[in-house]
Amino acid sequence: MLAAAVTYVPYPSWLNPGDNTWQITAATFVGLMSLPGLAVLYASIVPKKWAVNVLGMMFAGFSLVMLSWFLWGYKMGFGVPSVGHGVTQGVSGIAQANDETGVGWVKHFFDNLIGVPGPALSPQAEQGQAVSGANTIIPFHFPTASLAYFQLVFAAITPLLFLGSVLGRIKFLAWCLLVPLWSTCVYSVDAFLLWGGGYFSQEGALDFSGGYVIHMSAGVSGFVAAWVLGPRLLRDRQHFLPNNLVMAAVGAGILWLGWNGFNGGDPYYAGASAAGAVVNTNICTATGLLTWVALDAWLSKEKKPTFLGAVNGMICGLVGITPCAGWVNGQGAIYVGLICTTIVWVAWNFLSKVRPFSKVDDALGVIYTHGIAGFFGGLLLGVFGDPNMLEYGCGHLDAAGQVIATTTTQYATGSSKCTPFGVDGLAYTGSAHQLWEQFRAALWVIIWSALVTFLLMHLLKLVLRGVRYKDEILEVGDLAIHGEEAFPEEAFASRVGIGVGASGSEEVFENEPSPPDDPVPSGGSGS
Amino acid sequence: MKLVVAVIKPFKLDDVKESLKTLGVHGMTVSEVQGFGRQRGHTEVYRGAEYEVEFVPKVQLEIVVDDAQVEEVTTAIVDAAGTGKIGDGKVWILPVEEVVRVRTGERGPEAL
Repeated sequence: MLAAAVTYVPYPSWLNPGDNTWQITAATFVGLMSLPGLAVLYASIVPKKWAVNVLGMMFAGFSLVMLSWFLWGYKMGFGVPSVGHGVTQGVSGIAQANDETGVGWVKHFFDNLIGVPGPALSPQAEQGQAVSGANTIIPFHFPTASLAYFQLVFAAITPLLFLGSVLGRIKFLAWCLLVPLWSTCVYSVDAFLLWGGGYFSQEGALDFSGGYVIHMSAGVSGFVAAWVLGPRLLRDRQHFLPNNLVMAAVGAGILWLGWNGFNGGDPYYAGASAAGAVVNTNICTATGLLTWVALDAWLSKEKKPTFLGAVNGMICGLVGITPCAGWVNGQGAIYVGLICTTIVWVAWNFLSKVRPFSKVDDALGVIYTHGIAGFFGGLLLGVFGDPNMLEYGCGHLDAAGQVIATTTTQYATGSSKCTPFGVDGLAYTGSAHQLWEQFRAALWVIIWSALVTFLLMHLLKLVLRGVRYKDEILEVGDLAIHGEEAFPEEAFASRVGIGVGASGSEEVFENEPSPPDDPVPSGGSGS
Repeated sequence: MKLVVAVIKPFKLDDVKESLKTLGVHGMTVSEVQGFGRQRGHTEVYRGAEYEVEFVPKVQLEIVVDDAQVEEVTTAIVDAAGTGKIGDGKVWILPVEEVVRVRTGERGPEAL
C-alpha cells in the first residue's frame, strides 16, 4: 500500500522568500548600526579614559533589550492590545473605538495604549506568519521571527542613542537596569501607539521608521536622564576630546549605510517603496551633511569645515528623513535635509546657551541631533508627504495580465475600490491635517518620554543609592570601573603568575625551552 | 664629552639626521615632545567646542658627542633645522661625566 506522499514545504503559501530575505537583511543592517556602528562612534568621540565604559554599556544594553524584547517587550509593542469593555475587535485584532466623544475618547486611548506583555519564543511565535496591527493593509509575507527581530534592532538602538547624554558618570549597574525598564515603559508604549495599531496610528499619525518613537524619544529621554544625573566632572567637560576621529568615521559610515535597512525595511516588503525610501534616505543625508559643513565653514567662529560637524549634519539628515523616508519624494528629501540640519545647527550653536539647555549636561548633544531633528522631520512629513509616493499601491491589470501600478489621482478617477497608501502633505494637497496629527503624536512622545524617564531615574536613584559614580571613580574612568584601558601599554604591563619576578604560582608550558646559561653575544658590530 | 639637546620642528628631523650622519655622528635618541616657547599655540574645534592647545608638537634629539665635535654638530643642527620662522626650536649643550656601552662595558669616548 502506498503511503500518502508527503511534500516538504520550505515556503508556506504566505511566505515570500524575497520579502523575507530583505527583512532579515535589513534587520541585520540596523543591528550593525548599534554594534559596532554607534558603539564605535560614541567610544571614539569620548576621551580615552571613557572609551571602554561606552563600549561596555553599548554591548550590555544591546543584549538587555534583546532578552527583554523577546521575553515580554515585543508583544507589548506589536501584540494584541489590552482591550477593555465596550470596544470591538477589528479584523486585525486591533480595538476599534465605539465613539470618539467624551469619556469614549479617553477610554479609546487607554484601550489602545499598549499590547499585552508575553514571550515570543515558541515555535509558532517564531515560525508562524507575522501578524500585527502594524500593518493592516497587506498581510506580512514573512514569519513572526523576521518581524520581531526587525523590530528588536530598532528597540535596541534607541536606548543606545541616549547613552550619549548620560555617559561619563552613570553607574554601569544603573544603566543595566535603566535600559530594560525604559524599553518596557517608554519604547514599547510609543511603538504600540504609533506602529502597533495603537491610538495614534488609528488617528492617522505616521512615523515611517522612528523619527518620533526612536529619535525624538531618545533625545528627550537622554536630556531628562542627564538632568537627573547631574553633569560630568568639570575636568571631563573641560577636556572632552575625541580619542580617534578615524574610528569615529568608521562608526559614522556604518550608521549611514546601515540606515538603508533602517528605512528600507519599514515598508515590510522588498518593493518600490523600500527602494524609494533608501534613495530618499541617502539624498537627505548627503544634503544634511553638506549643509552642516557649509554652515560651519561660513558662519562658525572658526570658519572651518570640521569633520565631526559633517557627522552631526549626516545624523541630522538621517534622523530627519526617518519619519518620512518612503512618503516624500526626492525633492522633499532634499528639503527635509536642508531644513532639519539648519535648525539643529542653529540650536546647537545658540539654543545651547539658553536655559534649560545651558543647565543640563547632555554629553554628546543627543537632544539636538536626535531630539530636535526627529521632531522637525516628523512635522515635515505633514508638509512634504507626497500622495503619489505609494507605500502600498494597487494595480490595474493590463491586456497582458501584468499589474500596472497607478497613482492616487488615477485611482480617484477610476472605478477601483482599492485605496493605495500615500501621505497627503500640505505642500501637495493644501491640507494641514497630517501636520496636525504629527504634532499631536509628537507632543505625546515628548511628554511620555520625559515623564517616565524622570520617574525611572528617580526610582533607580532610590534603589541604588545614587545613579552616578563617586568623583574619585570618575576621575579615573575605565580603569576604575572596568579594570581595562582602551589603549593599554604592553611594555609596562606584565601578566601576573607568568615568568620572572611574577608573584603566585608560576605557569610553565610543556616543552618550553629553558633560558640559556651563557647568553650568546649579539652578532652586531659597530660602536 | 657633551650632551647636545635639540628641540626642533618635527618635519625637519630628516634634514637634521642626514646632516649629522655626514659629520660621522653614530647615533641619537629622538622623542616626540610637546612644548611652547615664543611660538603661540593653536585652537582646535571638536563638535563646535573650541579647545585651546598651548603646547606645540616638537621633536627632541639627544646626541652625546666628543668635545671636539660639539661646535660642528651644533652648527649642523641649527643650519638644517632652521626655517627663519618663529618656532624653529632650541639647542642646548650639557657636560657629560661618563658614557658606558651596555653590551661591552666600554667607557668614555670609545663607548660613543
